[in-house]
Amino acid sequence: MTALIASSAVRTCLGGSEATLTRLVRGESQISALHHLRTPTMNVDRAYRIREQGPERSWRASGWLGECVKEALAGARVDPRRERVAAIVGTGLGEMREVERAAVEGRALQPERLHFAEAVREAAPGLEEVITLSNACSASGHALALAQDLVELGDADAVVAAGADSMTTSMLAMIGRVSPASPDRVRPFDVDRQGTLLGDGAAAVVVLPEGGSERPLARLLATGLSCDAHHVTAPHLDGLRRALAGAYERAGRRPADVELVIAHGTGTVLNDPMEAALLAESCGDTGNGPLVTALKGAVGHTSGAAALVNVHAAIGCLRDGVVPPVVGLENPVAEADGLRLVIQRAVRARVRTVQVNAFGFGGVNAVSLLEAAG
Amino acid sequence: MNDAIAMSRWALHIPGFDLAELVSGLRPAPAVPPERARDLLGKRGLLATEPATRLALCAVHRALGLEPRERPAGNPDPASAVVASSNFGNARAVASIASTLQRGDEKVSALQAPNASSNVIASTVAIWFRCGAPSLMVCSGATGGLDAAALAALLLRAGRADRVIVVGAEPDDDFASRLNALRPAAGPGRPLRAGSAAVVLERAGDGADGPCLGRVRSYADPAGAVGHARADVLLGPDRLAAPGVRTIDLAHDVGDTFGACGVIQLAVAAAFVAAGEARSVELTCGDEADGWRTAVVS
Repeated sequence: MTALIASSAVRTCLGGSEATLTRLVRGESQISALHHLRTPTMNVDRAYRIREQGPERSWRASGWLGECVKEALAGARVDPRRERVAAIVGTGLGEMREVERAAVEGRALQPERLHFAEAVREAAPGLEEVITLSNACSASGHALALAQDLVELGDADAVVAAGADSMTTSMLAMIGRVSPASPDRVRPFDVDRQGTLLGDGAAAVVVLPEGGSERPLARLLATGLSCDAHHVTAPHLDGLRRALAGAYERAGRRPADVELVIAHGTGTVLNDPMEAALLAESCGDTGNGPLVTALKGAVGHTSGAAALVNVHAAIGCLRDGVVPPVVGLENPVAEADGLRLVIQRAVRARVRTVQVNAFGFGGVNAVSLLEAAG
Repeated sequence: MNDAIAMSRWALHIPGFDLAELVSGLRPAPAVPPERARDLLGKRGLLATEPATRLALCAVHRALGLEPRERPAGNPDPASAVVASSNFGNARAVASIASTLQRGDEKVSALQAPNASSNVIASTVAIWFRCGAPSLMVCSGATGGLDAAALAALLLRAGRADRVIVVGAEPDDDFASRLNALRPAAGPGRPLRAGSAAVVLERAGDGADGPCLGRVRSYADPAGAVGHARADVLLGPDRLAAPGVRTIDLAHDVGDTFGACGVIQLAVAAAFVAAGEARSVELTCGDEADGWRTAVVS
């Protein structure tokens, strides 16, 4: 079975939904000093922040999420007061930054806002059922999979699949611990990559059953999910393979049907060679496979929002026929030999089917397949 | 595909609380506290794990009927999934890492890295018990336990797993208790209580045996919605008590188990039905801020 994506909205360091697409295609990025979150021993001092003036704001992820949910529902012309609409919000860190500030600054917090029900309900009056899924860096890929299951099984008329994250000092410090040097930028698949950097971000799509939208942005073929069950932080190739195989099996497609892969591409020591090997063995390593791009050099690792930020870019590629480059990539790792990585500048391409990868801490993997709706 | 969901296994693990207080005829082994989890789980792999993670592992260990220190080995089962629910599971660890950084005079330990990510409970359970199907971590407040059950049923119905371990766990350290006291639903006489529960769900049509879990439903306010199921027992807040229905508010017996509550209710309901003490049990978890979920076990 398949479903439809009726609308998509994002907030990234590059801006809103259209600005993000335009600037991705131009190969732009927006990196800045960590600012409020910086501490001397964390070995990280930069990030792809959504910039704000003045002192550190509270409940940042909830704010961007609310904007995306509102925009996506309006774009899909779905009114939760009239239809059965549920929401699944994927996040890596949720609003844990507020927990840190409660501990460090003694600030009061409202525990009911540590998950996203209130933020979604405020943005979408009438929408009651909100589930917050803390599934690390593939959280919104998991949300997308479950949203499709819900509409396919008839449990809801429409489902908002969303992702939102802002940074915590604790996660930044852990990223600093595993980076060989303090990275100046994210360089997916590059031999000289130094590790990942976080990005602020949120994203939302409205998933409808087949026939539910007159002008859908894309057909959602399937998402394969798996858990490595191997290590709490390091990825494992067998788990990635199972998610990928699951996606193609559920979709009834073969890797040869895909013209574009938007990779997870975190710029870390561990992820990139393994992901490149996965793509080489599944899509072919002889230079005639799909185009491969990755966004984290431009928008940073938006963690729980990353999968749906990738989906948003995939929809842009389906619509405009232009694939953004991998910002920060100059010399690909050996494992990417034969992969058609988009380097330096955007390329024109007729894209009808796209694969989107998302892998997270705890070995949680989501591989999604989208197709042009027309 | 048959939508009926069977609860094939279940266990509570609430240190200091015995299920026999509620369901006669049951004599489960006492629940070891998290600092003695090694007595049940064995020593290896517990370094730098938080109390809620240990409680979750203990509940699943007991639900699966494993011997003390027995541990599954081999490749992950691609048909076994994990759905966990917790809200404060890693709060103390995150607060402690942030405080260390703030002092600025020492590096944080890399051993703490997994605890910076809220999904540490779900992924640790998946690794420990060799579950290769999806691993989901629900952090959605007081409804989390039944949200987890709803997602587990969805994974089964969508053919993403043949067996789902649903586990709920919360800690009751000082920091978590302080956060919990700020909830609008927090009240005197119902402090946060460390505890966990696990249930294993399977498709009933696949020959799985056990009490049946009905559809999880969502309400802004359950008053008026609960009670129509005409269950023999109602697990939920006292204010929902209906005439002639035995109502058990676990907050009185156990305390406030927050994200674990729904899974604890499921395990208690399964025990009631399996022991023949009730034909059906209706359960309700949630609060005014987070909303409510209900389900019937029969």
